[in-house]
Amino acid sequence: MTAFGSERLLEVAEAALGTEGADDVEALVYRQAGGLTRFASSHIHQSAWREDLWVRVRVVVDGNRVGTATVHAADPGAVRATARRAAEVARTMPPDPGYPGMPGPAAYPEAGHHDDATAAADPATRAGLVAGVVRRLPDGVAAAGACETRELEIALANTRGARAAGATTAASFSILADAGSGTGWAEATEPALADLDVAALGERAARKAVDSREPRDLAPGTYPVVLEPTAASVMVQWLGWLGFGAKAYDEGRSFLVGRLGQRVCSPLVTIVDDATAADTIGVGFDFEGVPKRRVTLIDEGVAASLVYDFRAATGHGVEPTGHGLPAPSAEGALPMHLSMLPGQTPLADLVAGMERGLLVTRFHYTNLVNLMDTTITGMTRDGTFWVEDGRVAGAVRNLRFTQSILDALSSVRAVGSETELAAEDGYGAARAPALAIDRFAFSSATTF
Amino acid sequence: MEPEELTELALEAAVAAGAGYADARWVREETEGLTVTDDRVDDLEAEDSSGLGVRVLVDGRWGFAASAVLDPARVRGLAARAVEVARASAVLPGEPVRLAPVEPAVAAWSTPVASDPFAVPLARRVELLLAACDAQRTVAGLAHAKATVDLWRRRTVLWSTEGARLDQLVTQTGTGIEAVAVGDGDLQQRSWPNSFRGQFQAGGWEVVEAADLVGNGPRVAAEAVQLLRAPPLPERVTTVILDGQQLSLQVHESVGHPLELDRILGMEAAYAGTSFVGPDDLGRLRYGSPAMSVTADATTPGGLGTFGFDDEGVAAQQLPLVAGGVVAGFLTSRETAAMAGGGSSGAMRADGWGSMPLIRMTNVHLEPGQGTLDELVADTPDGLLLSINRSWSIDDRRVNFQFGVEAAWEIKGGRLGRLYRNATYDGRTTQFWGSLDAVCGPQAWVVWGVPNCGKGQPFQNARVGHGAAPARFNRVHVGVGGPHG
Repeated sequence: MTAFGSERLLEVAEAALGTEGADDVEALVYRQAGGLTRFASSHIHQSAWREDLWVRVRVVVDGNRVGTATVHAADPGAVRATARRAAEVARTMPPDPGYPGMPGPAAYPEAGHHDDATAAADPATRAGLVAGVVRRLPDGVAAAGACETRELEIALANTRGARAAGATTAASFSILADAGSGTGWAEATEPALADLDVAALGERAARKAVDSREPRDLAPGTYPVVLEPTAASVMVQWLGWLGFGAKAYDEGRSFLVGRLGQRVCSPLVTIVDDATAADTIGVGFDFEGVPKRRVTLIDEGVAASLVYDFRAATGHGVEPTGHGLPAPSAEGALPMHLSMLPGQTPLADLVAGMERGLLVTRFHYTNLVNLMDTTITGMTRDGTFWVEDGRVAGAVRNLRFTQSILDALSSVRAVGSETELAAEDGYGAARAPALAIDRFAFSSATTF
Repeated sequence: MEPEELTELALEAAVAAGAGYADARWVREETEGLTVTDDRVDDLEAEDSSGLGVRVLVDGRWGFAASAVLDPARVRGLAARAVEVARASAVLPGEPVRLAPVEPAVAAWSTPVASDPFAVPLARRVELLLAACDAQRTVAGLAHAKATVDLWRRRTVLWSTEGARLDQLVTQTGTGIEAVAVGDGDLQQRSWPNSFRGQFQAGGWEVVEAADLVGNGPRVAAEAVQLLRAPPLPERVTTVILDGQQLSLQVHESVGHPLELDRILGMEAAYAGTSFVGPDDLGRLRYGSPAMSVTADATTPGGLGTFGFDDEGVAAQQLPLVAGGVVAGFLTSRETAAMAGGGSSGAMRADGWGSMPLIRMTNVHLEPGQGTLDELVADTPDGLLLSINRSWSIDDRRVNFQFGVEAAWEIKGGRLGRLYRNATYDGRTTQFWGSLDAVCGPQAWVVWGVPNCGKGQPFQNARVGHGAAPARFNRVHVGVGGPHG
């Protein structure tokens, strides 16, 4: 049972729909509540609880003048006032000849995994999990990280008859273990707190930290690598941002321009976007009230499809895929529930199959260098190891990579059999398996 | 309820629940973001967000709770929840938090604004941005023109159990244009006054007028088209001059962040990272050349990090961070200042009602030297002028960095020459700053805004300022043609 409930959230949304003089009205209600227990140097130093609720109203007047306004409040009076403000904005806006209307009623797929215990998790529960992990750390190892639980409720109503509501929960635990001259990392996110194996995460991070002690220098260069899922997920996430949205494609700011239907990487690579998957955090509709659909973006190495919001889909004469952001959006549609499908090789076998190369735990501070060839740069962090004859032969100091994602995915030798849902520094999240890649370019090194 | 009633009620409830210290911060933030692409309004976001955050200390442990949904019962519940959060944190041992003393202030403060930007009719804003796009679209070969205006106004009412009673109104405005050229499988862009939605300053519509979006449109568009035809920057080691826009981000990433005392003490280890600087480096570590002096100044007119009081109620102040190339100060909070044995530098800032304050940069400036950019170029026999940021990345201790810029002009014999695209440069922090040999003078010094500084869990986004004038660095590696040390 959610804190507000879909009926009450839809009532909040519907308060906006009677706006005088409007041709179309849409109200999107978004509520998020939860707590985060943060630790560093093996003690809890910052912890918080927060509840936010906002209502975004989109009003259309004169057929195609569009205005929006957002308020953080739940009372009907504030929502109606916000709708009036959106209408005022709409009246001052120039006509939008491409305004596509709003989606009507639809059947929404099952999605969202709401766990009552996660929604109700109290500070003592989170702190207890943290304490349990910290107390089991080996001597000489300290830890930092966070344990977060949250509940998300979302509802949308419009004057075309769309009514959508959904809820989900999410629990995450991350730990950076510090063994002096080496650090290690582990993280996991699940819809239910009870499904997080925090003890295993703590052990994994601590083991990596100990193994990372006394790193040696490694000359930058192009090496074979095994990327653990946390690192691989960053590349999947970036690909999602760099060009699968139809608007970006139409505007020529997509690496897929001229490449749809063509092979863009190894046939071992298949990437889908699916908010309805059991192993993701999502709801069954997008921010325009369109049902979420599973879309195969890269199918065995071939660039297969874009994602569409309502406007782009109308322009292209196709069905929207349920990837719209709150409209109107300068960005357009985005895939936000990405998953690279697993292969059949356990992580240990990926490492065993690498004669010489690097095992990378995690990337840090990645950023785009060149959109059209999908080159990104970033650092390795919290566990970078040299592998010799299929065995980890010691830690190396962290390296900077500057690498085209598509080139890396073109030299994938094998795909891991297990996937993890991970996010670099909390931005987005993508599910990915470990990847064995034959050529990965490290351009410089750091001092630790 | 009035904000003061909410904060008073929250403090009473927090003390009744067992808090030894509490502050209650009510914030209302109004924002308006407008994006015009080519000939149409692509996005308009107008948001009004208010809520209350209650921060408590119970037996030396922090607790925080915040909500946008407020009534008297919920406010009392928030305070009790903050105390519950703090009590739960005691499950692990740790040094109790102590706060460096501060005289409780009772004051009001507001950003000086010449022209209220929210009072500028939306139709006029749209008209300006359409004109700015039209000016770019006069250039043949341009794919897309973009123009943006962003307005932020935040009122903060902060009360504490020590007696602080503060009411602040901060107004900030941003604007910019972005010209995009696409062809032959490449995409190039040129921006003005800065990339990523432009220049941001504290102030009103005067910030938009100063940017002269329409007047700069044709030049910016022409440069974007030229970039598409320009060769990629070859890899080499050379002298570079960074323009003020790029230098502001260089200061941000490789000077501001490493000198935040929470990072130095490991409090951000799991997320943003730590610092190569140690607590004992104060007054000892040579960070850069004698030409390098960096100041944190929350009083600078126009800075995104300018305020009357931080979110712990500490008055805005000026503080040298690097003096003549040597570390001279850290950005601190009341908690970390007490640990280090001093007073707070007044750098605690939250990104809204829903977040705990963290140590954030205020305005971190590279102090100006002398001369103009033209004179600095004329004084450079061989090198590059690197202009406006396109990409940034730095390791978690802030040592190894790599930046990309929109444009690079060759300098030969003191004159600007050919244009290169896809330019990057990289280095290590103290080595790089050690190679600084000239900074342009006050007439070239501008307070640039960085409105997207991420830190903390839950994630927070801070807006900070950086005064910078173009500066020259020697023996810098540019391009990523191959591996290098």
